[in-house]
Amino acid sequence: MGKKSLVVLILILCLGLVLTACPKKTVVKEEPSARKAEEQALAEREKAAKLEAEKAARERELARISEEEAKREKEKEFEKSLVAKREPGIAGEVFESDMLKDIHFDFDKYDIRPEDAEILRENASLLMRYSSVKIQIEGHCDERGTNEYNLALGERRANAAKNYLISLGLSANRIATISYGEERPFDPGHNEEAWAQNRRGHFVILSK
Amino acid sequence: MLSCFFIFVSLLFLVFIPFVEARVYLDINAPTFVQIPIVLLKWKGVNKTPPALPVKVHEILANDLVLSGFFKVIDERHLPNSLKGKEGIPAVESLQEWMSVGGEILLAGETSWEPGGQNLKLKFHLFDLVEQRHIVGKQYEGHHQVLRKMVHRMADEVVLQLTGERGVNNTKIAYVVLQGESKEIFIADFDGANTKQVTQNRSINISPTWSPDGKKIAFTSYLRRNPDLYLIDTNGQNLQRLSSYPGLNASPSWSPDGKKIVLMMGLEGKSDIYLIDANGSHPKKLTTGHGNEASPTWSPDGKQIAFVSDRAGSPQIYVMRANGSDARRLTFDGNYNTNPSWSPKGERIAYCGRVERRYDIFTIDADGSGLQRLTSNSGNNEGPSWSPDGRYIAFSSTRYGGSRIFIMNANGFNQRPLTTGKGGESSPAWSQPFE
Repeated sequence: MGKKSLVVLILILCLGLVLTACPKKTVVKEEPSARKAEEQALAEREKAAKLEAEKAARERELARISEEEAKREKEKEFEKSLVAKREPGIAGEVFESDMLKDIHFDFDKYDIRPEDAEILRENASLLMRYSSVKIQIEGHCDERGTNEYNLALGERRANAAKNYLISLGLSANRIATISYGEERPFDPGHNEEAWAQNRRGHFVILSK
Repeated sequence: MLSCFFIFVSLLFLVFIPFVEARVYLDINAPTFVQIPIVLLKWKGVNKTPPALPVKVHEILANDLVLSGFFKVIDERHLPNSLKGKEGIPAVESLQEWMSVGGEILLAGETSWEPGGQNLKLKFHLFDLVEQRHIVGKQYEGHHQVLRKMVHRMADEVVLQLTGERGVNNTKIAYVVLQGESKEIFIADFDGANTKQVTQNRSINISPTWSPDGKKIAFTSYLRRNPDLYLIDTNGQNLQRLSSYPGLNASPSWSPDGKKIVLMMGLEGKSDIYLIDANGSHPKKLTTGHGNEASPTWSPDGKQIAFVSDRAGSPQIYVMRANGSDARRLTFDGNYNTNPSWSPKGERIAYCGRVERRYDIFTIDADGSGLQRLTSNSGNNEGPSWSPDGRYIAFSSTRYGGSRIFIMNANGFNQRPLTTGKGGESSPAWSQPFE
């Protein structure tokens, strides 16, 4: 393509622009009533959009409030789940909650089993939400074996649970441990079923 | 208090006739022995002694002799009619008539006490029926309120004369009793009499041990929601907290010189063996590694400590020097050996081992040889504790249902319950002899 033909093309395009722009200008100038109606419609649309936005904001706010209420309700649920526990001959008052579940151990073992790791994760996420709560983990054993070795085993069980909670991000200074050995069985029976119940890590709340 | 006073002040014993020769009738250190048949004559009351008194003496004495495990007691009900009703001390010349009843030894004596009086007198004579000779005679005098103690002392003397070593009838045993959910410390005499409750706090009170002077008991209690170590007088007074580190402060054992206590502590998230001063200060860790360490017990010379460790995968008995060095494994049979107790005689260590889901008492030499099983087919047997003379072992057994305290000779013979309790008894600890 030659230089000449490029100049011609530009001229044609410019002319085209002038020709198409002119009549619009003319319309605006010539029909003021139509412009007004359009402005009105725009204003109405804007108003509607604003109302819509306000409604949405209100709904969001309501949702937020109900969510917070639900959260507070859930907090209350935990609060409500706390049962004060006093034992004769043991100083102080602690709380128990059915939302903090026990874990159990195999005979003569203190490692955390997979199904109990799941329970510990649930307990940990609950405790994460209540950062002021301090707990004590009790290590218990069944009656088989000697009292003293069971004290050692209970100490180890409580600390195994504690270390698992720490590994999930819970701070160590919120978790105390105590070994009861075989001295406080959950089930006083002398059979496999009772023993399985009694080999446990139990959670009590020292302070809310 | 009163009894202690009188036993010290007014218990006199006079050797009537010195014995001819120190002959040991029974070698109780032999692995097995035949009990000596001993004829116990009807005890005689002299002067104005009320008839119930000699009966009481006879009863306590006969029981002591049976409990010792060394004797087969032949008394009134085993005698032919011609000899029934004979009482008091026979003359050597008349010993002949007693030979037919099957006894090797004859024990006879008398008591005198005037109602309203303070002191009573006890006198006994021991005869060798085989050789038809007198062995020894002794007299005791003391306040009538310490009658039981005096008879025990007399029985100890009989044991000394016939076995070469004094008996342990004036010792006591501390143990734990389950009461509802609580556990309390009790003490009882060697014959099961005079049971007394030492703690009454409704807490969990466990692992009692006598102080070397016999005046106090150390134990672990959950009073402050931690297993802390306490000290208490045997009359239940003067509770004192000795060691309260976070975690375990349990299973105490005093060094023979009384200056140190070795115990289980959980300062590092697991149970280890620690040494503390007798006042609870200066904890020093003796064990290293990742195992659970439990139940330390001193050797009588104070140089070694036996304990439990599961460092090799299952709980076993180990022995180390008192400074924690040179730990060596002692037990290799079975996969659950716990609760060691070192004999005051030094050679043997008793422990609790599991065999086919049952727990039994074993003894083994401190060098790992001479393993001996003392209980079998009789429920679960745990928590062995030696008598101060090393001739008996107290332990707990569930053979009659609930757990009860039992006593046996160190070779496993003569196993019998200490008390007639209804169960829930455990963790016996034997005292030194009381004077």
